[in-house]
Amino acid sequence: MSVPAVVVAAAGSAPMSEKRAATWLIGIVAILLAVSFTGNVGIVFALLIALMLTGIPVSIALGLTVLAFMFLLTRVPVEAVALKLFTGIERFEIMAIPFFILAGSFLTHGGVAKRMIAFATSIIGHFHGGLALAGIVACAMFALVCGSSVATVVAIGSIMLPAMVRQGYPMRFGAAVIVTAGSLGILMLPSIPKVIYAISTNTSIGALFVAGLIPGILLTVMLCSVTWYLAKKRGYPRMPKANWAQRWNTFRESLWGLMLVVIIIGGIYSGMFTATEAAAMSAVYAFWISVFVYKDLSLKEVPKVLLTAANLSAMLLYIITNAVLFSFLMSHENIPQAMADWILAKELGQVAFLACVNVVLLLAGNVMDPSSIILIFAPILHPAAMRLGIDSVHFGILIDANMEVGLCHPPVGLNLYVASGISKLSITDLTMAVLPWLATMVVFLVIVTYWPGLSTWLPKTLGMM
Amino acid sequence: MKALDHLEEWIITFLMGAATATIFVAVLHRYAAGIRIPGVQDWLLSLNFSWAQELCIFMFVWMCKFGAAYGVRTGIHVGVDVLVARLPDAWRKKAVYVALFGGIVFTGIIGTLGLRFVWENGMHYAVFTALGFGTGDLPQGPTTPDLEWPTWIVYSAVPLGSFLMCFRFLQVTWNFVRSGELPHHDPTHVEGLHDQTEQPFEPVPAKAGAK
Repeated sequence: MSVPAVVVAAAGSAPMSEKRAATWLIGIVAILLAVSFTGNVGIVFALLIALMLTGIPVSIALGLTVLAFMFLLTRVPVEAVALKLFTGIERFEIMAIPFFILAGSFLTHGGVAKRMIAFATSIIGHFHGGLALAGIVACAMFALVCGSSVATVVAIGSIMLPAMVRQGYPMRFGAAVIVTAGSLGILMLPSIPKVIYAISTNTSIGALFVAGLIPGILLTVMLCSVTWYLAKKRGYPRMPKANWAQRWNTFRESLWGLMLVVIIIGGIYSGMFTATEAAAMSAVYAFWISVFVYKDLSLKEVPKVLLTAANLSAMLLYIITNAVLFSFLMSHENIPQAMADWILAKELGQVAFLACVNVVLLLAGNVMDPSSIILIFAPILHPAAMRLGIDSVHFGILIDANMEVGLCHPPVGLNLYVASGISKLSITDLTMAVLPWLATMVVFLVIVTYWPGLSTWLPKTLGMM
Repeated sequence: MKALDHLEEWIITFLMGAATATIFVAVLHRYAAGIRIPGVQDWLLSLNFSWAQELCIFMFVWMCKFGAAYGVRTGIHVGVDVLVARLPDAWRKKAVYVALFGGIVFTGIIGTLGLRFVWENGMHYAVFTALGFGTGDLPQGPTTPDLEWPTWIVYSAVPLGSFLMCFRFLQVTWNFVRSGELPHHDPTHVEGLHDQTEQPFEPVPAKAGAK
């Protein structure tokens, strides 16, 4: 469903006049018609784009495209479609997604974030812009155990922002830091977009998780440097330096949360669990520490947490079901192969191809959420990337880093909306405030794109790929 | 209506929790059975949890279908609204109707397709047997590999969920006609957030260390 009011306010744009709107609509229709004359591939995509532009939920747009195409243009028996509907998500790997979402909800509600912030503050709080730096590091730590950017922004931001404002930071500065640092949530170790990528391209989930660690640390350092520089220039406050006893104490307090890393990565790496089982274990563990160890969540609130997690996971699983239908249609029509042939025929080479991929994904990041983008684009781009000799894991991290950028800018960047909800800043304000960090992320994206070793070294060394 | 709402919420909450518990117990069992405790180990080894994965998948499939219907009510299904949001008001309304209509049509078709599939894959047989009609050469329908449940029962999540979703879309449309409002999911609202803001968090290391 569309959220018109919010987005209008967000984009800072009034509704268009009827005349302008009509011009736009006619233009779009003309383009789509032209596209649909290029053959079946064109029809599929024109149909999909037309449906999506009406504001229909992405999942339903995907499903309707498949149905319309199957009924009108092919002779695929309806039974095949029906069967796909049932069996589309019957894969145990997909079930890691609801488990990670559940673990994320428990972590956001429980006191894990609070303790990580205290620990991060005790380590680097005494630098220029100490609290902001601590916010970034706390986001990175939280990202180690949580697979969602939005959850990271909510968990760290809701505690950190009020604290920063009390310390004399402008709200704009704090919110911008949290928006961008929160996007680490999908880059560091576990991440829901990575699971989705792994499912749609048959890449190892464990390798993808581990591959994000070093790029994540690099991004953390880059964001911290920018923050430190800005804070020093503007003379933002520093925290008193903590002694080692305090650091040890805060570390011990936050250890319960950090142990999740051991469960997830240790479990998968040692072969004790599959990725899905690791996700389930982390959900149970997160439940246990928030209710029984930190006691920040009462047992009575647990059903509520379950319901919110179920609501979100059902939405994602529903998109996935329909995306499976869609990719069934695409492979039935040989579209990924045709695309790969077409791209290879252009003789772009790796460098230009990756540049194109980045541009396409960044553009897509303007209109869709990460899960939908990955579900639609990964199956199309992946075969071509493989044939160009690009590593599957590296390609996954590249897409992931792309999604991070998309999360931090309007019109659909969810991190931005969440942070604006917490800080009560307008999206326009926040967008301007985010710019220095967003530019840093784009630089980071270029580094990730053209330095495969950054992502692949660790999983290779660990023998996971 | 209220009862249906609660039932829906209750079902998906339960499925989420139960699936997690199932996998947790199955994993615990796998490792606990390897520990040598006289008596207990034999008992643990005699238990078979090979069906846990299958059960978990079914639970999540059911959760997905019913949760998707619940999601229509909470407005969590996101679409691309870059264009629609900028259209003149009256046009935007029309676009919303188109979107809602699309939802109704899709869920309706899927529900019908699903029902036909389920009916032909064993429900027909089961219903006729239960009613005492002759089943003739109707197929009994396949069963699932591990749990050996009839697949039509498992798969009936699709027609049930889709029709429920269709109903929710109709409900949302009806509300939109009357009040011009759509359900809107607000990701910025977090339950329990106010608890934290009431007791301001001071990240002063000395305090945290003393705790």
